[in-house]
Amino acid sequence: MELHLNKHISGQFNEELEQVLSHVLDMGGLVEEQLRLSMEALNGFDRDLADTVIANDYKVNQYEMNIDLECTRIIAKRQPAAIDLRLVLAIAKIIADLERIGDESCRIVKAARDKFAGDQTQFLVDLEHMGKQVLAMLNQVLDAFARMDADAAYEVYKLDKQVDKIYEAVTRQLMTYMMEDPRSIPKVIEVLWATRSLERIGDRCQNICEHVIYLIKGKDIRHTSREEIEKTLATKK
Amino acid sequence: MISVNPEVSSVSANQVTDPSQLTAEQTALEMKNLNLFYGNKQALFDINMKIPKGKVTAFIGPSGCGKSTLLRCINRMNDLVDICRVDGSIELEGKNIFDKDVDVASLRQNVGMVFQRPNPFPKSIYENVVYGLRIQGINDKRYLDEVVEKSLRKAALWDEVKDRLNDSAFGLSGGQQQRLVIARAIAIEPKVLLLDEPTSALDPISTLTIEELINELKETYTVVIVTHNMQQAARVSNYAAFMFMGELIEYSDTNQLFTAPSTKKTEDYITGRYG
Repeated sequence: MELHLNKHISGQFNEELEQVLSHVLDMGGLVEEQLRLSMEALNGFDRDLADTVIANDYKVNQYEMNIDLECTRIIAKRQPAAIDLRLVLAIAKIIADLERIGDESCRIVKAARDKFAGDQTQFLVDLEHMGKQVLAMLNQVLDAFARMDADAAYEVYKLDKQVDKIYEAVTRQLMTYMMEDPRSIPKVIEVLWATRSLERIGDRCQNICEHVIYLIKGKDIRHTSREEIEKTLATKK
Repeated sequence: MISVNPEVSSVSANQVTDPSQLTAEQTALEMKNLNLFYGNKQALFDINMKIPKGKVTAFIGPSGCGKSTLLRCINRMNDLVDICRVDGSIELEGKNIFDKDVDVASLRQNVGMVFQRPNPFPKSIYENVVYGLRIQGINDKRYLDEVVEKSLRKAALWDEVKDRLNDSAFGLSGGQQQRLVIARAIAIEPKVLLLDEPTSALDPISTLTIEELINELKETYTVVIVTHNMQQAARVSNYAAFMFMGELIEYSDTNQLFTAPSTKKTEDYITGRYG
């Protein structure tokens, strides 16, 4: 089923929906930038950049609260049904996930605020790769949402498995470092926290994929098997 | 896939999602290949649907889509229109209501109807309620008193009128008159109650009272309601049918229809879009 958000008889309703949608996309862009900067800060041990990321988190929070308010007003005034209702519900959930991604980005940069000794920078090597993967997931899911493309959302959904694999590998690697030199443990733990945050961001992106598929297909695919999801995607709607 | 705790998944428990899957016991009315013509103009096209027993079914759709026409078929109100011709069948508990041996008066005892504007008779409140029974020749005062109280209680009007049963029905407010008309309809204990836009002439509070009443009535009767107010259909019905240009476009569980309808026409209509 094609989505025509701007085909309501009420022009005002069209405007309200378009506005809230564009705010969600702005928020998505901001969160993506926060994550990108936090990875950059981590790789360059850039303390100032780390502080900027943390200082900007309030903007993400502000977006979440504003969009929530817009959704509340739409529900109160328009009593949305069907696709409109699903859109408002999906948005409310998507922004909650985005806000958490913002929080996780702030956690990642905490590791960047401490200087690592020369040989300790190797701890971070694999993290950069994982960060790129997660960033790509976030970018693609936001794109799938903007284009209302359930199939694209499912492609991103599947990527989380790769992120989980990298997470396992990095964790194993970090454990080896700890065993080799117990003095490195405090630093390694910091990196471990950052790795954990990236893995969580991957999960959040996967959640957003679920919301996008729900929005378009009208079926809740959380906690269902892949076969089930693929069956849902194959329906014409 | 995790199995869902039955207590958690009880949202629409005991309700068949697809009404075409209703069993004979669960079905109050069944329309089969129903076509209706006003002269040369066809108003209903091949309607096939099962109306569940003891539930509220709503017909929605734009003006002129045939929903009132369909409702009126159920107690053969269309017989009164000379140029109207019907083919196909409507089965009330297995019996085709269009059969030659069906007595229209007794059909209408089984299928009561309430209209958009309250239409009490120019009589007392009491006489309005017992009107149907008097026509049947029942005049036992004690029995009639009983029916009046029972019907008015069911229609949630008793407490407001019990001290002035002999006053004229015209002294009641619009919402009270509408509830009186519903009491009159249920006094003869029909099986099915048809409501044609029952609240469109009422204020929001009276509307809510009637909606609450509809919810209670479905315990005893099968209720079919036509409404222009989509939110009302969403609030009061268990099943909803969307009609367009004389065709039944989509008919399903109300929860399903209002959250994820399966056709674009339904989606456009309930979300207020132009096609």
